[in-house]
Amino acid sequence: MAIIDPGFKSEIKKYGAKDFTACYNCGNCTAVCGLTDKEVNFPRIFIRHGILGQTEEILRSKELWLCYACGDCSETCPRQAGPGDYMAAMRRYAIASYEPTGITKLMFKSNPVFIVLTLFFALLLGFFLFTLKPDYEVSRWLFNILPYAVIHNMGLVIFSLTGLSIMWGVTVMALKLTKSMKEQEKSKSNWVSSLMMVGKELATMNRYKTCDAEEDSFWKEQPWYQQPWFVHWSIMWGFIGLLVATVLDFMLKDPATNIWWPSRILGTIAGIFLVFGTSLAINYRFKKVTKAYSQTRLADWVFLWFLWIAGITGFWLEVSVAFQANLLINHVIFLIHTIISMELVLLFAFSKFAHAIYRPLALFLHFQKSQNKN
Amino acid sequence: MEEKLKKQRIGVYICHCGGNISDYVDVTQVKDLVKNEEGVIVSKNVMFACADSNQKEMVKDIQDGKLDAIVVASCSPKLHLHTFRNVAVRGGINAYNYTQVNIREQCSWAHSDTPAEATEKAIGLIRAGIIKVSNSEALETIEVSSTRAVVVIGAGVSGMRAAIDLAKMGNLVYLVEKEGKPGGNISRWGDLFISGKKGNDIVDALTRQIKEQSNVTLFTDAAINKVSGSLGNFNVEVKIGTEILNLKAGAILVATGFDSYRPADGMFGYNQFPSVTTLPEFKEWIDKNQGEKLVFNNRNIKSITYIYCVGMRETKGTNKYCSRVCCTSAIHNSIQVHEKFKDINVYHIYRDIRTYGKQEILFERSSKNGDIFLKYDEKLPPFVEQIGGKIMVKVKDELTRNQEFEFETDLVVLVTGMVPRHDSLELAGKLKIPVGNDKFFNEIHPKLRPVETVINGVFLGGSCQGPKNISESVQSSLAAAVKINALTKNPKIQLEPIIARVNFETCVWCGKCAEVCEYDAIHPLEMYGKTVASVNEATCKGCGICAPICPVDAIDIAQYSNAEIEGMIDGFMQLVELNIEGKIETTEEQGSSAGMNDLPQIWRRISASLEVAAKTIPALATELDLNTEMITYHLMTMNKYSLVEAEGLDDNDEYYFYKLKKL
Repeated sequence: MAIIDPGFKSEIKKYGAKDFTACYNCGNCTAVCGLTDKEVNFPRIFIRHGILGQTEEILRSKELWLCYACGDCSETCPRQAGPGDYMAAMRRYAIASYEPTGITKLMFKSNPVFIVLTLFFALLLGFFLFTLKPDYEVSRWLFNILPYAVIHNMGLVIFSLTGLSIMWGVTVMALKLTKSMKEQEKSKSNWVSSLMMVGKELATMNRYKTCDAEEDSFWKEQPWYQQPWFVHWSIMWGFIGLLVATVLDFMLKDPATNIWWPSRILGTIAGIFLVFGTSLAINYRFKKVTKAYSQTRLADWVFLWFLWIAGITGFWLEVSVAFQANLLINHVIFLIHTIISMELVLLFAFSKFAHAIYRPLALFLHFQKSQNKN
Repeated sequence: MEEKLKKQRIGVYICHCGGNISDYVDVTQVKDLVKNEEGVIVSKNVMFACADSNQKEMVKDIQDGKLDAIVVASCSPKLHLHTFRNVAVRGGINAYNYTQVNIREQCSWAHSDTPAEATEKAIGLIRAGIIKVSNSEALETIEVSSTRAVVVIGAGVSGMRAAIDLAKMGNLVYLVEKEGKPGGNISRWGDLFISGKKGNDIVDALTRQIKEQSNVTLFTDAAINKVSGSLGNFNVEVKIGTEILNLKAGAILVATGFDSYRPADGMFGYNQFPSVTTLPEFKEWIDKNQGEKLVFNNRNIKSITYIYCVGMRETKGTNKYCSRVCCTSAIHNSIQVHEKFKDINVYHIYRDIRTYGKQEILFERSSKNGDIFLKYDEKLPPFVEQIGGKIMVKVKDELTRNQEFEFETDLVVLVTGMVPRHDSLELAGKLKIPVGNDKFFNEIHPKLRPVETVINGVFLGGSCQGPKNISESVQSSLAAAVKINALTKNPKIQLEPIIARVNFETCVWCGKCAEVCEYDAIHPLEMYGKTVASVNEATCKGCGICAPICPVDAIDIAQYSNAEIEGMIDGFMQLVELNIEGKIETTEEQGSSAGMNDLPQIWRRISASLEVAAKTIPALATELDLNTEMITYHLMTMNKYSLVEAEGLDDNDEYYFYKLKKL
């Protein structure tokens, strides 16, 4: 016997859910969605869960993460209940609920807290960064107050916290999601092939391509490289490429000065994709090209702008390193680039970024289940 | 009864209806065959009988050929009876020396797959029509004088509004109200959608207007005692206290309204738990509640649960209908609750919901208020129980994968609909008006004659006829007011003369006819020194129930006399010999495709062949010179209808033999 929590409606409004109570359950949203079928059901049922306060139903669902937010449902909704934006809000709610510290809840529910915490972490990271240049005057002053070892350990603790939080979050999510799967569904599936299918989806975005793909869709007219799936692909692989390049750079112990090194070439190409993707995404959100882009939360803006700034400043640094220009402005840019990049990583568990791990996990479990059906 | 003169110069017109008839009925052959009937001097095919040009031609035929009667074989008389009656009159013959034969709905449309039979039936029906018209007599419409006064029963919003308009149109109006004051149901209600006015404000305004009208008399605490008379001259006895008033009226408007459904004790905890009430009760109560907090039965209310369709739309019970105003009423009520009191959780447990028309914005407003809607199936109604002072509601929600939910609530409001007044059957008896399955008063035709009853002169207004909201109630009562005025404003009212007539010579007044008459139209009369039955021309509907009852055959119905009916049967039973060669021309397309028109023909040929011996499909195909597919198709269909059956395989074990099934 399920219970009803009528107070939950006002709680999820804080995560950006807006007019969802206008829903009259016609189900057009579910019908029009290219990713739904007999087994996979959204967004209508999620609006029900929200209205009735069925939090566990929301947190236990894979479907929440199968949605790519194309906004086709919102376009179709006869009551302007915004099912697409509602799904995004539910994902925010889920990210905040899986993560154990409560930081995400604070940040998603209140913009002032979001800004204050983002700035605070930026300052903290800046503080750590000065310790990397011990010959700076600021750094020398810092070391007088706190010894290097303390600062170093603080950094380790803070980054471990992020790491632990995301691991906790993933574990909580995996437990909740598998709870709704039957025993036989788990045992019979071949996890290797499910993993392959996740990899294929990440590589091709084939499921994303089915989103908002009707004849009358706005995107049907646009070239493929401007379509949302490719924008998402660019950002994702751009970021992954840059991450790999940076790690390689550090493993080679010499943050690359030669732009023709393989790791640098990878970084350059990945950076182009990242900047291309984020530029388009920011542009779409500014122009509100479709309903999907019409409502942008502060968390979305910050995430996109951070990626974009990280990309642009990265190129600036690459150029200045190539020309050996040791100007003050380059140092400032370096500081910004590093703070933003590190803050992206630091806030991984506490921001929209967490979807990068939750979505593949949900996809993996979805494939596990659908394999059984077939 | 005197022998009527037979009509000897009859014109018959057979309509093609642009193919509607002629595609199936062989109209040419029909025309040629009926031409030989006794008395027929004109027999014509026409493309559209109702077309202006044809009407003119018919008028000309009547005048030139000195026709004395006409038969039009076309569509249903419901469509064109009056059209051709007018043609007859324009041609100079009596409107009742015309008969309509329906060969479209009854022949071509009903038997489109058997055109030969359709043609046969058409000929039979037309022969019947010819004999009927040849026996027809000229009739004149009945004229009745009318009193320019109207009795309006019920001074609710419908009755009051209609009374005012009837008075303005020049009628003397008697407004009869059972209660001590006018207003009816709406005087119990507060803010009304859309105007926001209160029920009592409307009643006060209407009462003022009634007082301003010198020709409206309002009787309160008054009951209808007895109704007699008929259209134009009703006698309505009204009882006020011990006094009895006699009111004379030309017409009666029934606007008695409705009762609210009262749930049985224990239904969803009604009359069992103090926190379960009905919507009408709660509505009255919330209008009176002026405090900051919502308190009901000393209980602070933080959540309300409305349960919809209580006592309505029952698949098994008596109230099968949808009361249709309750959804709107409940949702409007919940919006008022939100406006008056803060932070109240509202649950709507419904089967289906519709706040139709302009009221749809209420539903939207309600969902935007954050009300929770849960949908139940009639077979799994919500369950209300009280556990230690707490009211708990359980419901299976169709909108959430049929999950069962349980929640606590402070107040349960049962959304009950409109039912007929408890005393409606009594009034129906006095007025002799019928009630429907739902026990509401019945109109003649829901779409085309929505405010008239089968009793001439008795009209319906408002929700005594079925659930209606205020504007619909007033619409219907005003429609009735105008219909009434159209009758009473003429000093003479014209009535159809197709009524029962008594042959005073043979009548011995046994009273059997008066007993069976549903309309109380037959009364004894002293005449020629004996008692005979007399028919009230204004009340008789010509239903004919008295005619077969009469032991001495003294009653017949105009246009349906024995001579006419017996003649029709004779005409219809005559043998029809169709000229098969002149059968319907099938077009190329029809012949080559399904061959629907040939179907019975093929069945007959197959039957004839199988009568001789059992045969296989290829053998039949060879014999009848048809391809095997065609034979297979028809034989299988015949098999489906149990006309043939299979019997053993042939020598090669390849084909079954088929034989006729013995019935």
